[in-house]
Amino acid sequence: MDSQYKIIHPVKYLQDHLAQDVRPDGRQFLSFRSISVNISSITHADSSAIFKIGNTTIVCGIKAELAAPKAESPEYGYIVPNIELPPLCSPKFRPGPPSDQAQVVVKLIENILRNSAAIDLKDLCVFKGKLVWVLYCDLMCINYDGSIIDACIGALTATLNTLTLPETLYNIETGSVSVNYTKRLKFPIKALPVSVSFAIFNDQLLIADPTDDEESLCLGRLTIVMNEDKICCIHKPGGIPISQDLFLRSLTKCKKRAELIRSLIDAAVSTIKQEHLNE
Amino acid sequence: MPVDQRRINGPEVSVPYHIYSDFDEKSDKVKHDFSKRSDKRTNSEMRKIFLKIGIVSQAKGSAYIEMGNTKVVCSVFDPRELSNKNGYCTQGEIYCEFKFAPFSCQKRKIHQQNAEEKQYSLILQRTLEPAVCLHEFPNFQVDVYVMVLDNAGSSLAAAIMAASTALANAGVPMFGLVTASTIGIYGNHYLMDPTDTEEAICNTQPDKEDDFNHGIITLASLPQHNQISEVFLIGSIDTNTIKQATEMLTAANKDICPVLQQCLVKTIMKLHNEKK
Amino acid sequence: MDTSEETSQSEYILRPMNCELNQLSMPDGSAMLMQGNTAVIAGIYGPVEAKPQKMIYDKASIEVSYSPIKGPTKVDDRMTEMYIKETCEAAIIVTFHPASAICINVQELEDSGGMLGCTINAACLALINAGIPMKFTFAAVNCMIQEDNEDIILDPDSIQLQEAKAEFTFAFDSMDKNVICCYTTGCFTETEFLKAMDRCKQASQYVFDFYRNLVKKYANVI
Repeated sequence: MDSQYKIIHPVKYLQDHLAQDVRPDGRQFLSFRSISVNISSITHADSSAIFKIGNTTIVCGIKAELAAPKAESPEYGYIVPNIELPPLCSPKFRPGPPSDQAQVVVKLIENILRNSAAIDLKDLCVFKGKLVWVLYCDLMCINYDGSIIDACIGALTATLNTLTLPETLYNIETGSVSVNYTKRLKFPIKALPVSVSFAIFNDQLLIADPTDDEESLCLGRLTIVMNEDKICCIHKPGGIPISQDLFLRSLTKCKKRAELIRSLIDAAVSTIKQEHLNE
Repeated sequence: MPVDQRRINGPEVSVPYHIYSDFDEKSDKVKHDFSKRSDKRTNSEMRKIFLKIGIVSQAKGSAYIEMGNTKVVCSVFDPRELSNKNGYCTQGEIYCEFKFAPFSCQKRKIHQQNAEEKQYSLILQRTLEPAVCLHEFPNFQVDVYVMVLDNAGSSLAAAIMAASTALANAGVPMFGLVTASTIGIYGNHYLMDPTDTEEAICNTQPDKEDDFNHGIITLASLPQHNQISEVFLIGSIDTNTIKQATEMLTAANKDICPVLQQCLVKTIMKLHNEKK
Repeated sequence: MDTSEETSQSEYILRPMNCELNQLSMPDGSAMLMQGNTAVIAGIYGPVEAKPQKMIYDKASIEVSYSPIKGPTKVDDRMTEMYIKETCEAAIIVTFHPASAICINVQELEDSGGMLGCTINAACLALINAGIPMKFTFAAVNCMIQEDNEDIILDPDSIQLQEAKAEFTFAFDSMDKNVICCYTTGCFTETEFLKAMDRCKQASQYVFDFYRNLVKKYANVI
C-alpha cells in the first residue's frame, strides 16, 4: 500500500509524513544518514575514495599527468574537477554531454576548492615555467539519492588527502623528465572543507541531508560548507525565502555534522597510513 | 579538438607520467615468467569473484562484481517505450552502454565513448539478446548501463556477468543466466582470467618465428542450456588452440554459474525474511 | 546606516542605479540596468508555449539563458543561470500559467563587480515590465569584506573587489525581507556572514524604492 501511495501521489505522501513529524525513511527532520568512506580501492588511480551518504555513492579517482604551465602563471599547476552523473546512477539522467545540473555542481566544487584554499597550486610545480602536475579529479556518481554535493566534497577531500605523487625531476639542460616510481611523495592538503545540505519546505521547515525524493519536492535547498571553524561557501540558489533564524539553526547543525565527517575522513586516512607503516 | 564548454578544462596537452623513464635507468622489460603469475595463481585458475546485487537503489536492478582488482557496476532500468520511428516492433530491445571510468585504466579515459567502448557495448548487447525473452516486452526497450570502475583485466567478461545478474535482479524475463570468462593465449601458454598486464602481453606477437599464437578470447555462454551466446577474439590463434580454449572457457563458465545463482537466491531469501 | 534616513544618504551605500525599460521591441518585457559601471540587459518572453520535453503540466517552466559579453557560454554561466532561474521561480506565481514557459534572457554588457546581483535585479525589472504575476518582487545586493580591516563595503566595484576577503550576494523578497538566494566566495566566520546579511538587508530597501520610482515613472507610458 505504502509504495503505491508514493507512486500515485508523491507530494501528498511526503506531506503526510512531514505532518506526522517524521520523514519517509523514518528519520527525524534534522537527523542525518550514515556515512561510510573507503579509501584507495581503485588500483589504477593515483588515489581514490568511495564516499557513501545513505544510498548516495560517489567514487572519486585522481589521475595525475604532466603538462606545461600557463605562461601567465608559471608556478601554478592545474586541478581539473569533473563530475559525471551517468544514466547508470538514476533514471533521471540520460546519456550524453553533462547536464546543466552536473555543470552547476562541478562549478560549485571548483569554487569550494578555491575558496577553502585546500590546495596550493604552487605545490604542483615540478619546474617553474616548464613542467607542472595536472590533477584530473573525476567524480563518478554510482547511486544518486540526494545530497550529491556533500558526497562529492567528501569523496574529493578524502582522495586529495591520500594523494601521493612520484618524485619527478626535470633536467633543464636536456629538457628530459625522469620519474622515480619507487618513491612517492605525499601531496600536502591545507584544509578539509566539509559540505552539509538541507532542504526547506513550507513554513520554514528545515530538513537535513535530503534524499532524492525529498530534494525533488522541496521548495528550497541550502548547502553550507565549513572549513575548520570558518565557512567557505553558503549556497542557496533560490527557492522559498528563508529567515535569518533558519540560517542560524542550519549553521549550528552543520558545525556538529562537519566535525563528525572530518573525524571519519581522518580515521579512514590514518588507517591507510598505518598500513604503509606496517609494510 | 574543440574545447568542451560544458566542463572545466585543464591544459590542452598533458601526458601521463608513466611514459617517462625511471631514475635508475634499468630497463624494466623483464621477460614475463609464464610459470608464475603475479597473483600466485596457476595458469588455469580464475580469480575469486565477489558479486553483490541491488547496490544502486535508484535502479530497477543492479549488480556489482569484483574479479580480483577488476570492479564493475551495472544497472538496469524499467522498460521504456520505443519511439515509433520504424513502426511497431514485435520484439523488445536491449540497449547497452559500456563505459570505462576515467580513472579505471593506466591511461586516463576521456568522457565520450571511444571506439573500444562502443564495440564492447555492441558485444554486450549481442551477448544478452539470446538470453532475454524479448518477445515478452514488444516495442519496449530495456536500458543496461555498465561502468568499469577499475580495469585489471577481463573487464568485458565481468561486465557480461554483472549485466546478466542485474537483468535477473530487475525481474526481466530470461531464458537463463549468461556467464563469461576470458583466456589469454601466448605461444603455448593458456592464461585463464588474465590481468591487464597479462592481457597486454597476450596482445603482442611472440618472438619465436614458427609460433604466431597470441590473443585473447572472451566467451559468453548460457551454461543452463549448454549454449554459447558470443565469442570475441582478438589476435591470431590457430584452430586447434581455439578449440581447446573454448572447451576450457565453457567449463569455466559452468563453474561460475552457481555463484551467480546463489547470489540471486540469497538476495531473494533476504527480502523474504525481511517481509516476515 | 539606517534605511529610515533620506534616500540621498542611501545613495552612498550603493552605486548609482539607472534603468530603462522597453529598450527591446521584440520581447514582452525588457530592462536595461546599470549599477555603477556594471550593466546588463534582460528580456522576457512569456508566457509562451513550452517545448514538449520541458513542459510541466501543472506550472510554468522557467528557462533562463545568460550570455557573457564575449565567448561562448561556459560552466560559470550555468551557475548564474541557475541562480536567476531559481530566484525568479520563487517569485513568479508559476501555477497561473500551467504547461507554458517563461523565457528569461540576460545579456551581459559590462562587468565591473556585482554581476550576479545586477542580473537578478534586471530580471526582476524585466518581469515587472512584462507583467508576469509575481508573489513579491526581489532585490539583490552585493557586498564584500575587506582583507585587512574587515570592513564591510556594500556594492563594491571591481577595483575594490581585488582587496576582498569574502564576497556575498543576497537576494531578498519585498514582503518579509527574507533571503531568497545567497552566493558567497571566500572564507568568513558566522558573525561576518550575519553582519553582511544584515547590511545587505537594509540596503535592499533602497533597491525596492528604486523599483517603485521607476515603475511610477513608466506607469503612464505603459
